[in-house]
Amino acid sequence: MIRRRLLSGAAGAAALLALLLGSCIDPFRPEVQDVATNYLVVDGFINSDGVSNIKLSRTFSVSTAASGTAPVESRAQVYVEDEQGARYPLTEAAAAPGNYASAALRLNPAGKYRLHLFAGGQEYASDYTAVRPTPPIDSVTWRLTPDGVQINVNTHDPSNQTRYYRWSYDETWEYTSAFRSTIEYAGGGQFRPRTEDIYRCWASRPSTAIRLSSTTRLSQDVVSQYPLLTLPPTAVQLRYKYSMLVRQYAQTAEEFAYWDLLRKNTESIGGLFDPLPAQLTGNLRCLSTPEAPVLGYVGVYSVAEKRLFISRSQLPPLWSMPNVGYTANVCPPDTIELPLALVYFNNNPSILPVEPYIVNGFLLGYIGAPTACVDCRLRGTNVRPPFWQ
Amino acid sequence: MSSPHPPHRRPALALLGLLLSGAPAAYAQQPAPAAPDTLVTGRFVEAGFEQLARSVESQTPYRFYFDPASVETLCVNVAAERQPLPVLLDAVLIRAGLHYAIDRQRRVFVTAGQPIRLGLPPGFFRDTTAAPSLSEDDDPLAGLNRARPVRRATDRVYDIGLGQPRPASGKATLAGHLRDARSGEPVVGATVYTEQPSAGTATDEFGYYALTLPLGRHTVLVRGIGLKDSRRTVVLHADGKLEIETEEDVTALREVVIEAEKDKNVSGLQMGLERLDIKTIRQVPTAFGEADLLRVVLTLPGVKSVGESSTGLNVRGGAVDQNLILFNDAVVYNPAHLFGFFSAFNPDMLKSVELYKSAIPAKYGGRLSSVLDIVTREGNNKKFGASGGIGPLTGRLTVEGPILKDRASFIISGRSSYSDWLLRRLPVKSFRESSASFNDLSAHLSWELDAKNSVYATGYLSQDQFRLASDTTFRYQNRTASLKWKHIFTNKLYAVATANYSGYQYRIRSEQNAVNASELGYQLAQGGGQLDFSYFLSQRHTLEFGASSTRYRVQPGSLQPRGTESLIRPEVLAREQGQESALYVSDRLELGPRLSVAVGLRYSLYQALGPQAVRRYLAGVPRSEATVLDTVQYGRGRVLATYHGPEYRLSARYALTTGSSLKASYNRTRQYISLLTNTAAVSPTDVWKLSDAHLRPQLGDQVALGYYHNFQRNTVETSVEVYYKWLRDVLDYKSGASLLLNRNLETDVVNAQGRAYGVELLVKKLTGKLNGWLSYSYSRALLRVPPAVATDMVNGGRWYPSNFDKPHDATLAGNYRVNRRFSASLNVTYSTGRPITLPLAQYYLGNSLRVYYSDRNAYRVPDYFRADVGLNIEGNHKVRKLAHGYWTLGVYNLTGRRNPYSVYFKAENGRINGYQLSIFARPIPNLTYNFKF
Repeated sequence: MIRRRLLSGAAGAAALLALLLGSCIDPFRPEVQDVATNYLVVDGFINSDGVSNIKLSRTFSVSTAASGTAPVESRAQVYVEDEQGARYPLTEAAAAPGNYASAALRLNPAGKYRLHLFAGGQEYASDYTAVRPTPPIDSVTWRLTPDGVQINVNTHDPSNQTRYYRWSYDETWEYTSAFRSTIEYAGGGQFRPRTEDIYRCWASRPSTAIRLSSTTRLSQDVVSQYPLLTLPPTAVQLRYKYSMLVRQYAQTAEEFAYWDLLRKNTESIGGLFDPLPAQLTGNLRCLSTPEAPVLGYVGVYSVAEKRLFISRSQLPPLWSMPNVGYTANVCPPDTIELPLALVYFNNNPSILPVEPYIVNGFLLGYIGAPTACVDCRLRGTNVRPPFWQ
Repeated sequence: MSSPHPPHRRPALALLGLLLSGAPAAYAQQPAPAAPDTLVTGRFVEAGFEQLARSVESQTPYRFYFDPASVETLCVNVAAERQPLPVLLDAVLIRAGLHYAIDRQRRVFVTAGQPIRLGLPPGFFRDTTAAPSLSEDDDPLAGLNRARPVRRATDRVYDIGLGQPRPASGKATLAGHLRDARSGEPVVGATVYTEQPSAGTATDEFGYYALTLPLGRHTVLVRGIGLKDSRRTVVLHADGKLEIETEEDVTALREVVIEAEKDKNVSGLQMGLERLDIKTIRQVPTAFGEADLLRVVLTLPGVKSVGESSTGLNVRGGAVDQNLILFNDAVVYNPAHLFGFFSAFNPDMLKSVELYKSAIPAKYGGRLSSVLDIVTREGNNKKFGASGGIGPLTGRLTVEGPILKDRASFIISGRSSYSDWLLRRLPVKSFRESSASFNDLSAHLSWELDAKNSVYATGYLSQDQFRLASDTTFRYQNRTASLKWKHIFTNKLYAVATANYSGYQYRIRSEQNAVNASELGYQLAQGGGQLDFSYFLSQRHTLEFGASSTRYRVQPGSLQPRGTESLIRPEVLAREQGQESALYVSDRLELGPRLSVAVGLRYSLYQALGPQAVRRYLAGVPRSEATVLDTVQYGRGRVLATYHGPEYRLSARYALTTGSSLKASYNRTRQYISLLTNTAAVSPTDVWKLSDAHLRPQLGDQVALGYYHNFQRNTVETSVEVYYKWLRDVLDYKSGASLLLNRNLETDVVNAQGRAYGVELLVKKLTGKLNGWLSYSYSRALLRVPPAVATDMVNGGRWYPSNFDKPHDATLAGNYRVNRRFSASLNVTYSTGRPITLPLAQYYLGNSLRVYYSDRNAYRVPDYFRADVGLNIEGNHKVRKLAHGYWTLGVYNLTGRRNPYSVYFKAENGRINGYQLSIFARPIPNLTYNFKF
């Protein structure tokens, strides 16, 4: 942690002086001949107290535009295995190829387990790893900083055993469309009152950053106010209500080092004062072709969770969180007069009726607006999450 | 100003020589206008002396008396327009070794061998600089004797060793110091020689020289870059001293420069040596307008750096820690300010710098790749002066002067940035909360106690402070001190005793979060002594020998909590200690007129000392937490590891012709302290680590071969050098190694092998209106982690390029003197991009796109190219004025090429983007004012 701050400080120092001197940052696209890479990637961990989820995919070339999904590895045979050879199979979800899940397991805390799998005609396995219990999260708190809302996690292990922590989190927030649609087109030139609420929705996203902390340099195994995320005062996530589910994982020193290196590799590589990037693989081996790299680290530990809510009313009243990209300025509503309206709303997915246009009690037409500004379901779900308060 | 060649071979030059040397001398010699009937007009081309004499006699009342035989060979090429006769005769006769005297009756006596003395010459009983003892009215040679002391000194005949017993060998040693006539500072690296017999030597760091010659009359010539060529006529009776004062060649700006024997690169034994004086350093344009020593060193062949603003030097494929950087004999550990944007040496303080890339003299040791020997000025021992400058980011001031006239002097020089002041004026808040400042102070004292003893003291302090957006404060500091005592036993033997101290430390303070507020510290100190002897055994043998010992103390890291809320557990790594000692002897042998050889042997011994707890690991498997056997405690002063071995230093020169030679060298070096860095450039948080029970010292062997050829009467030097190097036990790091506060570094580092090879071409012209150098090198620097060392070896145990492997590198550093007041400089650099580890594949892990990297350093960043221009504008050249000021105007990176300072890849919002950061992405103009009074 200290090292990181030092490194960024040094790089920042160079950058700061550079700023005075007219430096600039340009995109860099190396002309690297694409190396055909098709290595197996194993993403997930063995949950010692619950369902283990493992995602199998393949690497793809750097010149391929990342679409958010990787080539998945389907129809693999995946097991959690102990040293005595006892196997707990993981089954592939029919709806999500490449995602494998076990039954809810309660593994022997004194045992050692590994992931063993057969995919693409090759046999792979992780190293046997001892179970690490994760201590509960003491609290997830937030506070105002000049940069916005900083969300922090606090935990401790009275037995001073854990020492290495990793966190991931899911963010969920409430939001609305620009316009509340009261009617819907029923077809055949007919409009009817809308029954389903497409104005208020909830969006979720998983964390992409690697959050790690070690207490080995502290006299007690205490993590105090470790910052997970800072939301700027204008973040639309804070417009109504925001929630974060924090998951805490106890790590071994080796896995911590793996994630730290992965973080360095992706978050802070290339500055002159940054460490050199490393060819990083993990704790998996290809048993049938030993020289073939396998990427990923499969640890064995339990998960501790804690949820945080932040309402708009708790935040400074003067803050404004514009509904960026979905305001009336971006999608101006249009008034469509009656004879035309019947044709206009027919078979037009890009526009939705908002409300009837009534002057002096006479229905003259309908007000419509672009679908993206009316139907919140395009960006999330209108099903209220069960945990929502 | 005279040419060593006989005039009949160079008619045009003799003619010009007259105009140059004669004209000012005439005014000096005859302050009252000469009677019109004594002025001479005439033009003589390939004429005999008698012809000249007749012509003079026909125009003036002068009458000549000479032996025709003595002027028989004289060939007169001269043009005069109403010139006083002495000026004409100076030009014609002195060069031919003839003498003349003019008495009151205007009789001119021309003699060969001994001059006719028409009275006692002035200063006969005194040293050369004494004022004339006779009153001018009594002196029939008044007109001539009013010349400046140095000029007059060239006309004198010095009797050396008169009254002492004649040596039986028929030979005697002439020794003394060469000093600058104006400031009294020693002149280093000038050649002192005689033509008949051909014998010569170069002045050492004290300006000291010693020549062994047959008894009798000799003309001792002095040549050096930036010096007026000078000569002394001596009659050697026995061993004796000759102190020579010489003048700086300020008239080099004139239209004609007389060629001199500046042929050191061909005739000298040393190879792989680059010598720069402050004048050359000042000519190379820099980003901030201030002369920068390390920046100039980087333009030399075989010297590279990983990044534009990094002053870490990579010499011939060596790592940045493999350079011994000496500041008046004390080691400087971090020669950079502001993370490398400035070098930590104040240009006003510097005199010269020597870089040894191969054939490192046995005197030096402790680093593998090179020696960068920085020598400061001594300060003017004749009068007080001050100089300084104001640039875009820094200001500097130097004061110097005598403490005891001609015997003791001081110079003190300070420099400070005012970037803090600039930052606070910037509109961005994070800049206002930042600070960046540095300063350095150096002082030097020299004191000649008597003719045999001199004392020199130097102190140096440089400090840097940097804070980024009020979070983390970096501070680092270099301190050095050295004290030297030089004692001359005899003309042939002198000794220098040196005591030195060097310290380097940094502190990094972080106070943002009260719970984690802490200060990280690192400290290194070394103190030692050395004794060096130089023994000029004979003209064929020059011996150097000595001993040195250095104690190192390293505080490798400490983390301390700051404030009461801080939960940081104080962590202090155990102090490390070591003792490095060495003995050396070397002999420079002249084996014949063509072949000379230097053989040297240095034996170094290093002991890692307790108290220390040393872990023992299982043999044959990689060292890690899991393979620890036990821990052994060593008490205070107990030796926990000893390394020692010989270091061979051999070089030879074979002269092919007078203008070309072939040289070869082999040297072995050992290094007991290494810099731990796993970042691409040197960062201030890197730590120096002593060799210990696990980390073996680095060992390097280099063979080099060079061909040197001078053209155009030695004004153009060319050279080709090839080298091959083997390095053992170079430190390399396991992927993602953490080097900070690491108690067990041995588990994170591996001993790698290195090899480097290359060819370096250099064309250099250091005189004339157009001067500068062009260098090109092709070189490789490769590393390998042997398969036996570790299972997690880098790149599967294959050879891979080091961070600073840049095969092609070409530099042009040129300067053109438009006239005495304007000179323009151009600096053009091209090099291959440095190696980089590139992303090869993408994958998803932990909800984010990740990158799978290539083998270490398998690819390269784009090539580097930069052109800089500079213009020096001097004030007027009046000799008497309060202050001499000059402006330096420059544009750095004239073409505005966006050279990548670094290339990096970032995961942003689940995408991987590649970026290149260019620091000087557009032309950077700068203006500096310098003054001197």
